[in-house]
Amino acid sequence: MSDRQLADWRQLALKLESEVNKVVVGQSNPIRLITTSIFARGHVLLEGDVGVGKTTLLRAIARGVGGAYQRIEGTIDLMPNDLVYHTYLGEDGKPHVSPGPILEAGEDLSIFFFNEINRARPQVHSLLLRVMAERTLTAFNKEHNFPHMLVFADRNQVEKEETFDIPSAARDRFMMEIPIVVPQDKDIMESLVFDTRFHNVDQLVGGVAESILQYKDLNGFAAMVQDSVTASPTLRKYALDLWRATKAPMDYGVKVSGVDMNRLVLSGASPRGMSMLLAAARVNAWLNERDTVLPDDIHAVFHETIAHRLVFSPVYEMRRGEIAREMLDGIVNSVAAP
Amino acid sequence: MLPRFNDVIHMLLIVCALCFSQQLLADVKLPTIDEQYVDIKVEDPKRDAGYVVGDILNRKVTITVKKPYQLIKESLPIVGYEHRYKGQVSGVELISIKSPSTKNDAGETYVLDLSYQVFKTGRAVKPAALNPEVLKMRNTAKKKQTVQYALPLFKFRISPLSVIGQVRLDREMYPFTPPLTLDSSPVIFKLKALAVVLALALLGLLYILGSRAWLPRMGAPFAKAFRDIKKMDDSPAGIKQAVTRVHTALNKTAGASLFNNNLAAFVAEKPAFALAKPAIEQFLGLSNQVFFADASQALKNNDPKAWLLKLCRTLRDCERGLVPDMAADGAKA
Repeated sequence: MSDRQLADWRQLALKLESEVNKVVVGQSNPIRLITTSIFARGHVLLEGDVGVGKTTLLRAIARGVGGAYQRIEGTIDLMPNDLVYHTYLGEDGKPHVSPGPILEAGEDLSIFFFNEINRARPQVHSLLLRVMAERTLTAFNKEHNFPHMLVFADRNQVEKEETFDIPSAARDRFMMEIPIVVPQDKDIMESLVFDTRFHNVDQLVGGVAESILQYKDLNGFAAMVQDSVTASPTLRKYALDLWRATKAPMDYGVKVSGVDMNRLVLSGASPRGMSMLLAAARVNAWLNERDTVLPDDIHAVFHETIAHRLVFSPVYEMRRGEIAREMLDGIVNSVAAP
Repeated sequence: MLPRFNDVIHMLLIVCALCFSQQLLADVKLPTIDEQYVDIKVEDPKRDAGYVVGDILNRKVTITVKKPYQLIKESLPIVGYEHRYKGQVSGVELISIKSPSTKNDAGETYVLDLSYQVFKTGRAVKPAALNPEVLKMRNTAKKKQTVQYALPLFKFRISPLSVIGQVRLDREMYPFTPPLTLDSSPVIFKLKALAVVLALALLGLLYILGSRAWLPRMGAPFAKAFRDIKKMDDSPAGIKQAVTRVHTALNKTAGASLFNNNLAAFVAEKPAFALAKPAIEQFLGLSNQVFFADASQALKNNDPKAWLLKLCRTLRDCERGLVPDMAADGAKA
């Protein structure tokens, strides 16, 4: 039964990937990582420049996953209650209150997209963190549940004005931070510019098959994946070594050019981060038709699940992306398995 | 006015008398010089037999004539002079002479380079000798005293020419003549060269097959791993240890932990391992089975230790810059 289910769901996952790959070209790796997050039930932070297709990608994913999709734009004057309710004067001239984007779809909310999250104030982050962690929200004297909700947020790291850095505790709630970069393939670049198919986003996203996944079954199936894919003692040791190396890279001979390694890391990966890493690795193994986690599965998600959790000395924060990549590459190269 | 007949006869008689007296003078045997006034060193031909008509014998005589004596240069042998030996024409003729000299405090030293050619043959071996040259010296203190010095005689044997079909060497050979030898130096040189090639080839073979660490790159990671794995047992624990050992060698060679996802970069950086890429992939698959999946399944297959040893040898060839024999290492783990 479970083997059959695993295979059937794998087909659905691959179909979702295939559908999204049709409309968002040159992003097969981010799409695989988002698929992994969906089945590992982890929230995703997308990072990339303006206009690289982050929103299109998420809309396409949301359409394929099914369920309700809500979106909010991060602005400097956005307040937490803007996520929960709207107030307005109705046609009858009386004040009315209607549910905000989080509450509107209720339990059917499957994807909540927070655009430009770093433009929102920390108060908003705080509310969102609770929703992300507990998938519940107390409003109007009632606790609302969002059991199927995944949060996809994006941020533009280039612009710094009127932005609020996401604190490490908030970053840690996201399973992955996935960079979205412009494809370098010449043909893809040309088609993005000259193929009119890519100019109308609504029409483009409309081309994705709807509700490929039964989103209400995702939680149950995700638990099944986690149960059915095993990690051997050697792999556990390897993962623990990786974890230790994120905390004390010097002990593993990891060096980053132009960086004093003694001062670099204030905090390595968190236990939650490591458990998310293994959850994502298990899904990657399942997607690759395996029932055991290999080091390659960990490597496939290592950067995206760990890099945003590292806390560096403030002096190195400006070069975070570059330093984190070099350090994590060094860790993968230094830690042996077996 | 024409001379008279008697005067002509008279003059002819005088001329004949003078010539005859000169001949008499030449044949006069002079006293031998005291040995203390002469230092002589003779370099004779190396062999004293086996000469045939046309052969040239070289003789070098270094003679120092001490004061007050002085060599009369006219007494040096003359080229082309027909010499007789035991009353017969000797058939050995001086064909060139060089006689440079240097003066010193004791006297004068002459280096006589004499070349003789044999103009004699026969059906049997005949004795012969180089011309017994006699040098004459003048005592400069006593103007009238002239002495002589006979150079040591060099005797040799003249052999008949061998005509193909008429001569059988075993019958005709002079019993005291050593057998004619072929020039063996080219053969010896060739033999030595081949011995060197053979030694290099053996060294190369030893280098390829050897598992010791006393040659360059023999102590490289896979050479060491090969030696270590040979000592490990076939038990599941031994196989795990062997796989770990290969991992260690791979990581050391790559300078990083090697996995499937950085294998292509490794091969690009070290093209010597390009041919072994499929074997490395196969190894990583085996390692995944042993350490991360169902190890018992992997160990059931045919002799993983033997396959690991073959893999190590293949990778050892790669690290030594040799082309691995992939056909021989194609056994599946």
